[in-house]
Amino acid sequence: MPTIIIDGQEIKCRKGIPVLQAALDAGMNIPHYCYHPGLSVVASCRLCLMEMKMPHPQTRELGWDPKLFPACQTPVKRGMEVRFNSEKVRESQRHLMEYYLLNHPLDCPVCDKAGECNLQDYAEQFGSATSRMVEQKQKNPKKDIGPHTLLYSDRCVLCKRCIRFVAEITGTGEMAVVNRGSRNEIDVFPGMPLDNPLQGNVVDLCPVGALLDKSFLYKQRVWLLRTTKSVSPADSRGQTIFIDHNENGIHRIRPRYNERVNEWWISDEARFGWHHVQREERLDQPRVRNSDGLRPERWEELPQVLRQRMQTTLGEGGGSELALILSPMMSCEEAWLLAKHIREMAPEATLVLGHVPIVGEDRTFPKGFVIKAEKCPNRRGVETIIEHFGGNTSTWSDFLAQAVEGKFKAACVVGGYTEEWVTKEVAAALAKVELLVVHDLFPSALDETAAIQIPSATWAEREGTFMNCDGLIQPFERAIPPLEGVKADGQFFYELAGETGLYRAKKVREMMAAELPQFAEVFIPCDVPRHAH
Amino acid sequence: MRDEDVIELREPELSAAERLYLPQIWDGVKCTVRHMFSIKLRNETVRQYPEDSRDTRGEVRVANYRGVHRLNKDPDGRVACVACLMCATACPVNCIHIEAGESPWPDREKYPVKFDIDELRCIYCGMCEEACPVDAIELTPQHDLVGRTRDEMIFDKEKLLHIYEETKALKPRKNPAITGYG
Amino acid sequence: MWDPAVKRVESILRNWRVWLAVIVVLPVLAAVVLWLALPLYKDPAANILSNPIWFPIIVAVVMLLSILTSTAVCILAERKLAGFTQDRKGPNRVGFWGLLQPMADGMKFFFKEDIIPHNVDKPLFMLAPCITLTISLIGFAIIPWAGDVHFDWMAAGETVSTQVASLNIGILYILAVGSIGVYGIVLAGYASNNKYSFYGGIRAAAQMISYELPMGLALLCLLLVCGTLRLEEIVNQQAQTGVWYVFVHPLPFLLFLTSVFAEANRMPFDLCEAEQELVGGFHTEYSSMKFAMFFLGEYAHMITGSAIMIALFFGGWHCWGLTSVENTAWWAMLIKLGVYIAKIAIFIWFFMVIRWTIPRFRFDQLMRLCWLALVPVGIVLLIATGVLSAVMDLQDGWNWLASLAVNVVVLIIMLAYAARSKTSITGRQGNMPDVDVRPT
Repeated sequence: MPTIIIDGQEIKCRKGIPVLQAALDAGMNIPHYCYHPGLSVVASCRLCLMEMKMPHPQTRELGWDPKLFPACQTPVKRGMEVRFNSEKVRESQRHLMEYYLLNHPLDCPVCDKAGECNLQDYAEQFGSATSRMVEQKQKNPKKDIGPHTLLYSDRCVLCKRCIRFVAEITGTGEMAVVNRGSRNEIDVFPGMPLDNPLQGNVVDLCPVGALLDKSFLYKQRVWLLRTTKSVSPADSRGQTIFIDHNENGIHRIRPRYNERVNEWWISDEARFGWHHVQREERLDQPRVRNSDGLRPERWEELPQVLRQRMQTTLGEGGGSELALILSPMMSCEEAWLLAKHIREMAPEATLVLGHVPIVGEDRTFPKGFVIKAEKCPNRRGVETIIEHFGGNTSTWSDFLAQAVEGKFKAACVVGGYTEEWVTKEVAAALAKVELLVVHDLFPSALDETAAIQIPSATWAEREGTFMNCDGLIQPFERAIPPLEGVKADGQFFYELAGETGLYRAKKVREMMAAELPQFAEVFIPCDVPRHAH
Repeated sequence: MRDEDVIELREPELSAAERLYLPQIWDGVKCTVRHMFSIKLRNETVRQYPEDSRDTRGEVRVANYRGVHRLNKDPDGRVACVACLMCATACPVNCIHIEAGESPWPDREKYPVKFDIDELRCIYCGMCEEACPVDAIELTPQHDLVGRTRDEMIFDKEKLLHIYEETKALKPRKNPAITGYG
Repeated sequence: MWDPAVKRVESILRNWRVWLAVIVVLPVLAAVVLWLALPLYKDPAANILSNPIWFPIIVAVVMLLSILTSTAVCILAERKLAGFTQDRKGPNRVGFWGLLQPMADGMKFFFKEDIIPHNVDKPLFMLAPCITLTISLIGFAIIPWAGDVHFDWMAAGETVSTQVASLNIGILYILAVGSIGVYGIVLAGYASNNKYSFYGGIRAAAQMISYELPMGLALLCLLLVCGTLRLEEIVNQQAQTGVWYVFVHPLPFLLFLTSVFAEANRMPFDLCEAEQELVGGFHTEYSSMKFAMFFLGEYAHMITGSAIMIALFFGGWHCWGLTSVENTAWWAMLIKLGVYIAKIAIFIWFFMVIRWTIPRFRFDQLMRLCWLALVPVGIVLLIATGVLSAVMDLQDGWNWLASLAVNVVVLIIMLAYAARSKTSITGRQGNMPDVDVRPT
């Protein structure tokens, strides 16, 4: 581990990383646009220039070299001494900022990047307050470059991160620099819009407001958003995300760095896979079937009603005619809590892993980013829990076959899928069940036969952990309160199990860890350095 | 902080009469009673509001009076606001609610689809006026604001633009700042 | 903007001539009604007025109604006086000189939305203002408004008392009722399910318990001299000797006065509703008529307190050369009542002057004032009066001067001690350490 001196401060760093990364890791605020740890280094923005001590050509004495070096392209070496706080470096930064702002429009009030824009920040921290530019500003056009993305060329600083991203990470290479000199601008090739399953990342990569997300355009100012750490339910990989939300609900999803899963990127499925949270049709109150159909019931009465109906349907005994279908959309804690409670009530109940949605095949990108075909976050976690409880278990297809034969008198079906999942076969099989309890997000064909219908909350309204396809257990936090009238799943299961008070996933996890030691620890990815972007 | 920056405050030494507290009460009562029976003081101090206000006396400072808001129009008669939400951000009581949208005009990016100010919640601090980069929101000298319901007191875009029409003769719009847009 | 009909009504109500006419017409109307009803009075058999059970009920109804009305007048007076002390004019829009303001206030209270928040203890929440108002009113039961009265239709020498109930435990009743008054406030604070309200209730309870003591001590000093608990007898004694007990016991009167301020939760003792700290204190969650009942309760409490204080220390209906125990004619009753009401008015004015003069105490000051000043003084006075009344009969002749002298001596000693002590009783707590704010 080499030790280098930055600004007179001794810093230990990993071998072979650029000086810029070492400085950022040490918490220094070094301006940079083109450098990104996930992309190749081009050293084109020149903002991270630094002074370095070099041997004098004649005397071999160490002294500050008159030339400035790009910190992003200089790997660390043992004993090297560099500085960013000299007058020379600061002057270079000031001139560069003036250059970047030459043609940049003064439209921060209407720019969606304002507030998290590095041009704003650096102009304030390293630039000067006034512009000497008297000529007409070069005004490049605004372009629609893909189904999800807009390009405001006039705001672009030509760091070419987006171009490197589509070339290196996705391998699709839709974007390039066209024209020369002051007319340099980013564009897509004609007839080849920016449309690949990872394209949303270019918006996050853009250090200024040149690339913008159409679905977030003009919706909110970023400083009005609050951020919650979460895990995407879009596929079984468990991509870590930030949910940006405020009192009006979720507004966007951004990638959260995760060294073991998705690094700096997320798939578009994860990025745009939150609109089901705001869908109109969502169930918003529990209903119980009476002689005149499904009628609203109060949450407080629900556990009692549920138990009573179970009792009358199953009668005394082990409850071998009861099936509990656990959805791979549930968190580990919820699955454990519910399975435990049902097993306590009916020790011979059958535990079933519900429908696992699979779309197409796994897709691997050049640098190793994988989008899974399995579109549910917690198949492995629920499997682990069913395995742990043992006893009567069944697979989804076996269960359906047995249900058609009428083996089950009662079934609790947990859904929570983001899309329509009840096929005709499923509906027909479950119609045979006398007491059908459905816990789901949206109305479905099951409602016709359901005896009790319980609304479920989306992942953004719950907390817990997902176990991804590689067995990594990652926690996610609650971003927004559940839809009015809906109780978070965990809270309901908690109350169903006879507990009182607030459901906390961590508390339940501690209870689980006594039986399932792998839940004692969860994986939380390390934070990115404060000034890196 | 240096030692000489420290100012030590000591409680004042009380005289014997002050410690008794009773003479002080007596003085207070005397003062109260004096004011209570002084019709002259009362008549000099009080102005009967609606009959004798600063409006009728022409004492209102139009330029910086902080009354009801208005939403200015640009020379083409369009709403001058660019929906940057600066005023909503600066507002200390969160009484401004804006919904931004893509503007229908080619020379502008954003414009407010909805612009609501809850005049009951507003404390008339003028922060919104300060924050506005295009001088679209301004406070007018209008102060006699009445309504029969709470909903009536939530002013929407049309109402705010209407107030501009009403007050532009009294207080013309300042030159808008140069921002590239709007 | 204004409806022309409304405008016309307003202009009529604003006209002082209308008011003058009303003031003239009302007594005339009353006289006519009395004249028409007079034959009824003349017949003793059919007359309920001579009945010792019915007469007090009539007194109760009349006084209750007039006191409830006068609380409204008190509120107007308070607002006017508040305006005057602050060089304002006070309410002057409704009716001539704002005289209809209490009616406007009352209508407003009636038509306001009555909010019962979620999560309050609903039965207690509803009950609390009722208790406050009721308790502050039932103190009236033992006030001897105008002594005994003899009507023409009665047998010679027979009189009825203008008191609702002549209780042999009169003063104990005052103490009991006074301390129950805090019950409504504590309940309101508790039922509101709001920490500010609860603080208000707790403060009220602590304050009440503390100020019961000096009140009781002051009353004991008085009892040692007058030897009876009946309020009407205390008043009669003062009327017969012509020496009001305030001259015999000036210091106990001061103790009692302070305690009445505290018990009525008036400034400077209104810590339980301290707006600056507790939003509204115990009535934060109340609105509409429930709030109005607290309001009425406070003013009714003030009137009761003044009436009791007058009965105990200021000779009740007695005024030298104007009223006497022997004169029991019906017109003398009216004079006595007038004297009593005038005294109450003066006291209420005093209450208001104090409210707009003295700022609210801090809680520790409040407690210190009670436990370190009023209670010790009360004990000393009690002992002194006890010794004195063992030595001589204070009711006799000029002996009351001895009691006055003792009071003066105690007052001088007390003032001398207070003037010598380091800080005033309401100042900074003596053993509070000096905090060094300098950074180390």
